[in-house]
Amino acid sequence: MTVVARNNVFEHGPRAGQPMLFAHGFGCDQNMWRHVWPAFADRYRVVLFDHVGAGGSDASAFNRDRYASLQGYADDVLEICDELGLTDVIFVGHSVSAMMGVLAAAAEPERFSRLVLVGPSPRYIDEAGYVGGFTREDIDGLLESLDSNYLGWSSAMAPVVMGNADRPELAAELETSFCRADPEIAAHFARTTFLSDNRDDLGRVSTPSLVLQCARDAIAPEVVGRYVHESLPGSVFVQMQATGHCPNLSAPEETIAAIQNFLGG
Amino acid sequence: MGDRSPEPVEETAEELFEEAPCGYLTTLPDGTIVRVNRTFERWTGLDRQRLLGTARFQDLLSAGGRIYHETHYAPMLRMQGAVREIAVEIVCADGSRLPVLVNSQMHHDAQGQPAHVRTTIFDASDRRRYEQELLRARRREQDVALQLQQGMLAGALPAAPGLRVDIGYRPAESGLEIGGDWYDAFWLTPGATVALVVGDVVGRGVGAATMMGQLRSAVRALALTQQGPAAILSALDAYAVRHDVGEMTTLVVAQIDLEDRRLRYACAGHPPPLLVSPRETPRFLLDGRSMPIHVPGGGTAPRPEACCALSPGSRLLLYTDGLIERRSQLIDHGMERLASAVAARQDDPGSTLASALLHELPDPDHPDDLCLLLASV
Repeated sequence: MTVVARNNVFEHGPRAGQPMLFAHGFGCDQNMWRHVWPAFADRYRVVLFDHVGAGGSDASAFNRDRYASLQGYADDVLEICDELGLTDVIFVGHSVSAMMGVLAAAAEPERFSRLVLVGPSPRYIDEAGYVGGFTREDIDGLLESLDSNYLGWSSAMAPVVMGNADRPELAAELETSFCRADPEIAAHFARTTFLSDNRDDLGRVSTPSLVLQCARDAIAPEVVGRYVHESLPGSVFVQMQATGHCPNLSAPEETIAAIQNFLGG
Repeated sequence: MGDRSPEPVEETAEELFEEAPCGYLTTLPDGTIVRVNRTFERWTGLDRQRLLGTARFQDLLSAGGRIYHETHYAPMLRMQGAVREIAVEIVCADGSRLPVLVNSQMHHDAQGQPAHVRTTIFDASDRRRYEQELLRARRREQDVALQLQQGMLAGALPAAPGLRVDIGYRPAESGLEIGGDWYDAFWLTPGATVALVVGDVVGRGVGAATMMGQLRSAVRALALTQQGPAAILSALDAYAVRHDVGEMTTLVVAQIDLEDRRLRYACAGHPPPLLVSPRETPRFLLDGRSMPIHVPGGGTAPRPEACCALSPGSRLLLYTDGLIERRSQLIDHGMERLASAVAARQDDPGSTLASALLHELPDPDHPDDLCLLLASV
């Protein structure tokens, strides 16, 4: 199986352009970037993919051991770069994928020229001297609900495709797999994501980075974004007007402008 | 008479909204609550004065629900304009949790921009209890099946000077239903002739475990009256057809005479035994093959058996297909992998080899029931 097939890789824009690799976070798939990537496809070689177990990826490639840590997902990112021959990569990672970018850049610094981290968090659980936004009980509650409430979560993850009278093209265009995942894989990904602690990896990265922080983000609050910024040498911190955790969907224009500004117009 | 239309019911739109048998919320696209009905207030004990314009819908959820909201609910609502039957918990004013099912619809303004979200909330307390009961029932069944299987496979293995039997057995991981793999080893003539069996019953769960128990007992009984592996398979086939059990079961029956070191074996649709002779390349025993037990419409086919001599220090490996099967790979690859793994560990003690094969060979991503039996003579 090729990595391109495994990770459902799609490319847009000029092949000779500088590669811009977009990684989606926990929950959905590469469609999360659909309002953002077209703004870059005129100059950049845009590469989109789905994490194994999400979207159109090959779920049979899922391996509990490999994906028990974010390093496994970061290795996938490096394999995609390797198979496509990408160098000088601008990595754009949303949510948990921001840390995958950090791990990938720490492993192969020469491969990456910039990191764009949208709503990053190196650790979700509070600890003495560190605010992550969640207590251990909060996360245990989430994982328990994923493990036990199988009917609720399976139906929640079933394909929800319905007509949208205002924008009929949307439903037709969308993959039916959007936000759908095998409940067991989703539960495993949640465990890997929300129990991760990659604070020590931040100092291993010297790639110029942008931290994009939303307001009132329930998953990655501002204090966490600031922590990432302060721990990442040479990073830029941008506080957005957008609220929530998914500015790539709720405020694509502001997201695009911030990334363009960081990349130098 | 008899033709009267029903009395009109006096209810205002406000009453329909406020006292509806479900909670109603209207929020801005970012989740900020701008309207809420009395049913919602009553269910949750949350006061609209403290909600409107300040609290967001996601703020009312448990931590798990908040994460789910940000990672699934909000993106789906943006992308698809609606979500339905999302199961979350609302944290009530007194700290208790109310399990609810939520449906939401995004409404857009004249320019097509998201304007507000209408949400209905259904009390799902009973449904949640029902789900938990189902879950408990499923776990209970898995436990029962596992205990049943382990109980049936328990028992001492034959051992004698010049014979050692090692078992590798792995029930499927928790969360998966057990399958119907079994092994057996018993004396036909104490100290002189031993029977070795590995089989695989189709199906999973309690049904497969009880079926396995039946066939295993049948093989034991038949082995005492029948002459040799092929005859045992024929008799088992007749038994299975007659009592309509064990359809498409595969098994291998081997018989070793310790005095003259002769092996007789027969395979009913089962992966071939692997023979490892000292200082020789492991080889699969590909003779003595016939179709599985109780093939629907299969009739009675001849069941051949084969025999060969075992040199001192030989090992015979019987196993179920989980040892050589991997998704998206040819079975030949699995057999090659097995042969080279055995060759690489030819000098290991039997128990070490059995345990190594069990841990190294199966597909790590698709754990299934698996057993192997290693006889060293």
